[in-house]
Amino acid sequence: MTATSSSYVPPAEGRTGPPPPFDPELAAALDVIREQLGDTLKLNDLPAIRQAGTLARLPDEDLRRDGAIEVEERTVPGPAGEPDISLLICRPAGAGTGLPAVYNIHGGGMVLGDNRTGIDRLLDWAQELSLVIVSVEYRLAPEHPHPAPVEDAYAGLVWTAEHAAELGIDPARIVVGGGSAGGGLSAAVALLARDRGGPALAGQMLLCPMLDDRNDTPSSHQMAGLGVWDHEANHTGWTALLGERRGGPDVSPYAAPARAEDLSGLPPAFIDVGSAETFRDEDVTYATRLWQAGGQAELHVWPGGFHGFDGLAPQAAVSQAARAAQLSWLRRLLAD
Amino acid sequence: MKELAGRLAALDPDAGAALQVIAYFDRLVEGRAGLESLVRGAAVLSGCAARLVDEARGVRIRVGADGVRQDGGGPVDPGWMSAALVPGDGAAVWLERTGPPNGVHAMVLERAAAAARDVLDRTRGRAPVEGPAADPASVEVLLDASAPEHARRQAAVRLGLRDAALARAVAPAGGPVVIEAMPSSGARTPSVGGRRAGIGPAVPVPGLPASAAAARTALRFTAEGSEQDPGPRIVYADDLGGLALLADAVGPGTEPVPDVRALDRAIAAAPWAAVTLHTVAFATSLRAAAAELTLHHSTLQDRLAQAEHWLGWPVQEPHGRLRLQLALTVWRLHHNQRL
Repeated sequence: MTATSSSYVPPAEGRTGPPPPFDPELAAALDVIREQLGDTLKLNDLPAIRQAGTLARLPDEDLRRDGAIEVEERTVPGPAGEPDISLLICRPAGAGTGLPAVYNIHGGGMVLGDNRTGIDRLLDWAQELSLVIVSVEYRLAPEHPHPAPVEDAYAGLVWTAEHAAELGIDPARIVVGGGSAGGGLSAAVALLARDRGGPALAGQMLLCPMLDDRNDTPSSHQMAGLGVWDHEANHTGWTALLGERRGGPDVSPYAAPARAEDLSGLPPAFIDVGSAETFRDEDVTYATRLWQAGGQAELHVWPGGFHGFDGLAPQAAVSQAARAAQLSWLRRLLAD
Repeated sequence: MKELAGRLAALDPDAGAALQVIAYFDRLVEGRAGLESLVRGAAVLSGCAARLVDEARGVRIRVGADGVRQDGGGPVDPGWMSAALVPGDGAAVWLERTGPPNGVHAMVLERAAAAARDVLDRTRGRAPVEGPAADPASVEVLLDASAPEHARRQAAVRLGLRDAALARAVAPAGGPVVIEAMPSSGARTPSVGGRRAGIGPAVPVPGLPASAAAARTALRFTAEGSEQDPGPRIVYADDLGGLALLADAVGPGTEPVPDVRALDRAIAAAPWAAVTLHTVAFATSLRAAAAELTLHHSTLQDRLAQAEHWLGWPVQEPHGRLRLQLALTVWRLHHNQRL
């Protein structure tokens, strides 16, 4: 193994049919989105993208939603021997105690974002379902490769469960969830909680999750160069996390949950994904394997959806449907 | 999209924003997006609620600035920004924002209107605006209550009824049933090209089989409107009331009641009998009937005396008038068996 394993090689053609078409409304939005996000992601681009992201960090004022949400930042212990981590805690004002909670792990390909990335959707849930949001600030690759991100995320979850009463949270109704890399980390945290006898989770919400470092499914090839988070961007993200181990024989399931051999004994899962994205096949496979292991999973494959479509183009009809499905699952899962 | 909307609202309409608007609608058209998607694009790009209103085709779509379909919202304010689909046609795209359209908003309206015109031409046909949906196979599926629901829904789309809140069936004499979308104002002249026709009640699209059955029943109450077959050429099922029950009572093998036989004899005996009895039966007064028939009052009295002799009952007193109205109606049902 030399540096060649981390340099990008585009997939060979001809293994699949043509890419499935994008939903018309999403296709129209995609032109604008790609203009803003770029066509793919290379490690060299990270500093500039992070700089722009820091500028766009959501201010507390926006989180509070005119007083409807109480916002708090807590610094809590990180993994043993590692730095402290920061938790963003958002609760509906005056909602009382014993509330369900979503423990959020943000997306950003393992290399981007902060614990406010995509928080708008979670604040909607907090208001709609009267639940607490705890969003973890984990260390990012490539400066902090595996296991730093997942161990930070797990440490924050353990602290949250142990301090549930103090936070007004019902410890029996904590759902771990996130989108994209945050979805992958959520699946990994659920595996860790199972294997270490950690917090008993009520559910795992895996939104278009990034699960498989091998980057070799038919959909990852089919969508190369298209949509959002294509084959090359995925290569960049996993290589940042795993370096030369990416795609090799020694990758931990806590880094790439698709590698887990045993998917039994996990909490009920919600998995959604677009039909026109890199992660389609690995996400469908993960749901299938959960069922085969005797677990519970709800799977939605949204036709013509690119990666993260419901967050990037929330107005589109298919995005509205996807968001309604997420809310519906949470409502059913967390009903008193 | 959020960023785009924000940028368009904040920016002066520079070339970049305009190009993005054009590209956005081009992609929707390329992807054969439906009308709601176009209205949603207009709403999201302009940051305010948008509407497409085409009363003649029964289309009324409203989408909020957040992209959520929200029909209703009160009447269109003529002061809002708008763009007609075709100059002079009533159909238009509206932005719920007052003032003359300018800059990016003008661009959004222009592109949305052009795209909506393309979709309407494709799905509903360009002309005639008043034309009934006349694809017989689709109508047949739509009116077959036992057909699978998705097949009926597809048929409705082919017939241009995707966005129609209400529609009605029209049964013309000698032709297949056609479907008409109803404008939200609720009134529309049926497009039957001068033929006799029964008009079904306006109903939600899934209820059209019942509207068609009612339209066929109404057709049996129509008349040629001639001297020998006087009466309305167009009958609305909604106006029949209890008379509709008579349609079930008179079938192909039904023996005519004595009053109908008497009416047959009277009509055979004098060429004036049919129109005279019909006019007297349904006019507000004898004087009005004489005026309508352009007869002198005394001439009409003489004719009625003769007719009462043939019929065997007095037609001017209330009970006799009802008996005459019923006899004429049942007589017509017998004669309209083959419509």
